[in-house]
Amino acid sequence: MTDAIRLSDVTKRFDGLAAVDHLTLTVPTGSIYGFIGPNGSGKTTTLRMIMNILLPDEGSITVLDSAASTAARDRVSYLPEERGLYKKMTVRRLLRYYGQLKGCSIAQIDPAINDWMPRLGMEEWGDRKIETLSKGMSQKVQFVAAVISQPELLILDEPFSGLDPVNAESLKDVVLEMRRRGTTVVFSTHDMATAERMCDRIFMIFKGRKVLDGTLEEIQAQYGFDTVRLRTAAGASALAGMAGVDTVNDYGQLQEIRLSCDSQRFLQQLAAKTAVHHFEITRPSLHDIFVRIAGLEGNGEVNGRR
Amino acid sequence: MKNKALIVAISEFNTLTRSKAFLVGILMMPIFMAIAFGVQKVTRNATDIKDRPFAVIDRTGVLFPTIAAAADEWNRGVAATGVQTAPRFLPVQATFEEKDEQARAALSDRVRKNELYAFIEIPASALNPDANGQVRYYSNHPAYRTLLSWISNIVNREIMNRRFRDAAIDRSLVSRLMKRVDVSELGLLQRDATGAIRAAAPVDKVRTVAIPVGMMMILLFSVMSGAPQLLNSVIEEKMSRISEVLIGSVTPFQLMMGKLAGSVAVSLLLASVYVIGGTSAARYFGYGDVIHGTDIAWLLLFLVMASFMFGSLFITIGAACSDLKDAQGMMTPAMLIMMLPWMTWFAIINAPESPISVGLSLFPTASPFLMPLRIMLPPGPPVWQIALSVVLTAITSMAAVYAAGKIFRTGLLMQGKAATVGEMWKWVRAS
Repeated sequence: MTDAIRLSDVTKRFDGLAAVDHLTLTVPTGSIYGFIGPNGSGKTTTLRMIMNILLPDEGSITVLDSAASTAARDRVSYLPEERGLYKKMTVRRLLRYYGQLKGCSIAQIDPAINDWMPRLGMEEWGDRKIETLSKGMSQKVQFVAAVISQPELLILDEPFSGLDPVNAESLKDVVLEMRRRGTTVVFSTHDMATAERMCDRIFMIFKGRKVLDGTLEEIQAQYGFDTVRLRTAAGASALAGMAGVDTVNDYGQLQEIRLSCDSQRFLQQLAAKTAVHHFEITRPSLHDIFVRIAGLEGNGEVNGRR
Repeated sequence: MKNKALIVAISEFNTLTRSKAFLVGILMMPIFMAIAFGVQKVTRNATDIKDRPFAVIDRTGVLFPTIAAAADEWNRGVAATGVQTAPRFLPVQATFEEKDEQARAALSDRVRKNELYAFIEIPASALNPDANGQVRYYSNHPAYRTLLSWISNIVNREIMNRRFRDAAIDRSLVSRLMKRVDVSELGLLQRDATGAIRAAAPVDKVRTVAIPVGMMMILLFSVMSGAPQLLNSVIEEKMSRISEVLIGSVTPFQLMMGKLAGSVAVSLLLASVYVIGGTSAARYFGYGDVIHGTDIAWLLLFLVMASFMFGSLFITIGAACSDLKDAQGMMTPAMLIMMLPWMTWFAIINAPESPISVGLSLFPTASPFLMPLRIMLPPGPPVWQIALSVVLTAITSMAAVYAAGKIFRTGLLMQGKAATVGEMWKWVRAS
């Protein structure tokens, strides 16, 4: 498997501050790669550099075997986080324009429009102006504009944000179908469940630096079986004052905890306090890992892991 | 596959020509001219017909009857068609002593109360040519000049008649002897292809001034209708982040050149509509021979260069600003530069060969408008001036496109604040 994207020691600074700091990353062809990270961590800057919208201050970027995505522009599509659509254009005219800018002819674009629009429930929108569409509808139009040229590499910045579950599901199906057709898909998201379910590989950036990169199993393996998922009659209140509990993630009906003591002894103590319905020793979820890095463990430990 | 700059240009052209602003733009010049003619016609017919009563203090003792008779004649004239077309003048005689300020103040009060419109004092010395006597006209309506002029004419005509009579000189003889000899203004004699000499034709102001100025206006309106639209277009793309999508598909230079080409095409379309309309009108009124193919070629050449020059300027402003409010501040100097020919064209008309005219028509931002004007004004500038104007305008246009390309590349993706001139200069100098 060759690489669709290669970033080698890439750094980008704004006003002297490193938004992306010596980042090295490879995205294999044909994979779905999830970019996660807190707000302002450098995800969008990285995606913009891959698209050649921003130029790196240091390092090199190869996209589809070209030194910069300039040469591969027609084979790469980009859906920015903030949607960019001409309000006064009709949907069909806009899709034709964006398709032509990707090197397609009208003869190629029109059948593609007629194929994509019904699939996303947009068959009646062709002659409507963008300004008359809702936010969700505009997002779907922008998505179709990104995929209409059948790119080899599809880069999506927060593609599912703001969509209702039905539309989000439609777009996920399309992303999976694009991957089946051979398209490499890179997307950023704050939805850890989506990243866990869809991505072949996940990359996390925090304060401009790579802190996670690998398959979900590889990432979880770094943390071992240090998480206990439990459900008790007393809920989270049963954990109050118990020794050996490092962290508690309370989901209401379920709690995820990390222990610094023997788990079997802890189970005995807990069972003495309340009825235990569920007690599972497991690996941490991506959400938990994300929170540990971005929220609790902050700078010290993670900065060393690259 | 089409060139991407061409795709952008076609889209830009379609967007601009399908907008209401374009329709307004294309109709602006004829509407503007129609309004100007219409207002003149309406104001000529819709005259103020309010009576103008005025008091006359005639210390000569002989002029009032003449004034009263002239007023009667005037009043008959303004109602001659059965519809009153001007105010009636209604003189009333008043008397008071030269030093009676109370009487003057009382008349002033009557004017303030609108019982009178004005009052005049004719001194006793008015008939004496050596006395330097002055007729005084008092009114609180300084803007209305018709009554003042009429009184001045009537009083002076009668005073002169009396002076001639007193000197026993026949006024009609003097008028005959003083009759001016007309000077008719002609062009030059011309030889046709057979060598035959054609008589010089009288100078026609429409032919020599109106049509060249009209052609310059076409240039100015066409550029003004196209170039500033680019600013809105770039700002819209920046504000709605369309520029990010576009830069993912085309290079910034392709995008900018596409936009410029689209704008130039719009200006050319507008100019073509105006030129075809103007030429047809000129032919209809018998001036078809005034507009030559070479004049139109010059117009189109300068139009293209001016469109690139000013288009680059407005694209630069759009790329440097993050919203329309920022852009308004930067628009003022740009519009002043663009309006320079509008403010100075009359200097060219009065003296096309003067140093100031030559200087203005070679100044790069004014040259695309003023040099075509000079070319159409007989006898036209020397060839070297035309060539220099083309070269300077072309260099300025290319420099503007180059600088705009540099600023556009960086400014397009900058959000949140407007770039300073210093920052823009740094971007231009960056490799």
